[in-house]
Amino acid sequence: MKLSNLVKELNARILHKAKSLENIEIEYAGASDLMSDFLAFSKPNMLLITGLATPQTLTTASVIEASAILFVRGKTIPKNFLEIIEECEIPILTTDFSMYYTCAKLYQYGIKDAMETDKENRYDT
Amino acid sequence: MTPESNKLLEKISQFFSNIRIGEIMTSPAIVVTPETSIKQVKNIMKIKKISGLPVVKRGLKLTGIISIEDIIKVLENGKLEDSVERWMTKDVKILYEENTLSDFMSISQKYKFGRYPVINNENKVIGIITKYDVISWLFEKLGTMYIHDDRRKKILEREEYTSRLTGELLDNKKISFDFDIDYTEIQRIGTGATKLKSFLKKKGIDEKLIRKVSISTYEAEANVVIHSESYGKIFCWDFEDSIRLLIKDYGKGIENVEMAMQEGFSTASEEVRSQGFGAGMGLPNMKRFSDKMTIISEVGKGVIIEMLFYK
Repeated sequence: MKLSNLVKELNARILHKAKSLENIEIEYAGASDLMSDFLAFSKPNMLLITGLATPQTLTTASVIEASAILFVRGKTIPKNFLEIIEECEIPILTTDFSMYYTCAKLYQYGIKDAMETDKENRYDT
Repeated sequence: MTPESNKLLEKISQFFSNIRIGEIMTSPAIVVTPETSIKQVKNIMKIKKISGLPVVKRGLKLTGIISIEDIIKVLENGKLEDSVERWMTKDVKILYEENTLSDFMSISQKYKFGRYPVINNENKVIGIITKYDVISWLFEKLGTMYIHDDRRKKILEREEYTSRLTGELLDNKKISFDFDIDYTEIQRIGTGATKLKSFLKKKGIDEKLIRKVSISTYEAEANVVIHSESYGKIFCWDFEDSIRLLIKDYGKGIENVEMAMQEGFSTASEEVRSQGFGAGMGLPNMKRFSDKMTIISEVGKGVIIEMLFYK
């Protein structure tokens, strides 16, 4: 799914527009408020969904090479973030939807689980 | 501060009495607005490890100061939801940017406050000065390193480290990348890892390997900041066949390494957890991403984590 489409479908606002927003294609996503979870179970170019709006979200996204950050529950960027954000090469979005609903929607659009627990479906059928 | 150290400070300060406050102060100061809740202020103090903040209105105009003493008063007689305005000290003693160190000495003798906001000629709060600022500044001027650095020196002078993983010598002079971990700010966690990441990228190292190395570094860095209560170091050697990482701190050490290696075990504080850490995944993650790993820890002496990643 194109990131620009995802923005529309989630009524998301763009908090930080890195240069490449138009060309980003999202295939995998993961959602957590624990940064260690992303460090443990991530895929390069995934969408990082979180309710944790701290500078650590940015450094984590950068370290795991996420394609974009999506804040849920309408979280925005605290002031102390601003200087870090200027150097950030990753787009940052925010949606008012809850984490649960955001994920449910994205899963419907075919975005896969970065942790690959959705693979169990394969064995069901 | 004891009377003796006060006297010493006065004595040394005489030599620098004409130095401008602007040069010594911490700037910018961390400030709050009058509408901020006491609870928030308490959290800022805790996270930033400071004991007082100037209260400002629009345009950084000073309207009061809120200190740990005021917070204690709130705890005794008020509510944490109260606004700063209600509890702040309104009669604030200030210093101007152009004032000198001797002005600081006389004002602090007269009023005995812990901290004084520093104001510029537009009446804006541009910094804050405490005795700690003066002492740090003096130490630097006198060419004496901070107390920490006594230990740092020993490490720097030691020129090699024998790998516990392979038995080979890791030569200090051949280090490809090194980074000092600042443990005073939770929010800085990851700075070293991101720097190492871009360093390895420039060297043209395989992306997948870089990911493993930077994730492991991030976890190790987080551990130093969260648990060690000491500064730390990241060293990286880029060898022909492998990447070697050494993350050291000189802090309190891990009491039970076996427990710490278990997923979900953590001794992190609530504060740390609210920042998304402390899930007890740090060491397990490092083990997962590195090809070989070892931890050397002694309670009270610090932790050394060594990791090896094959190319």
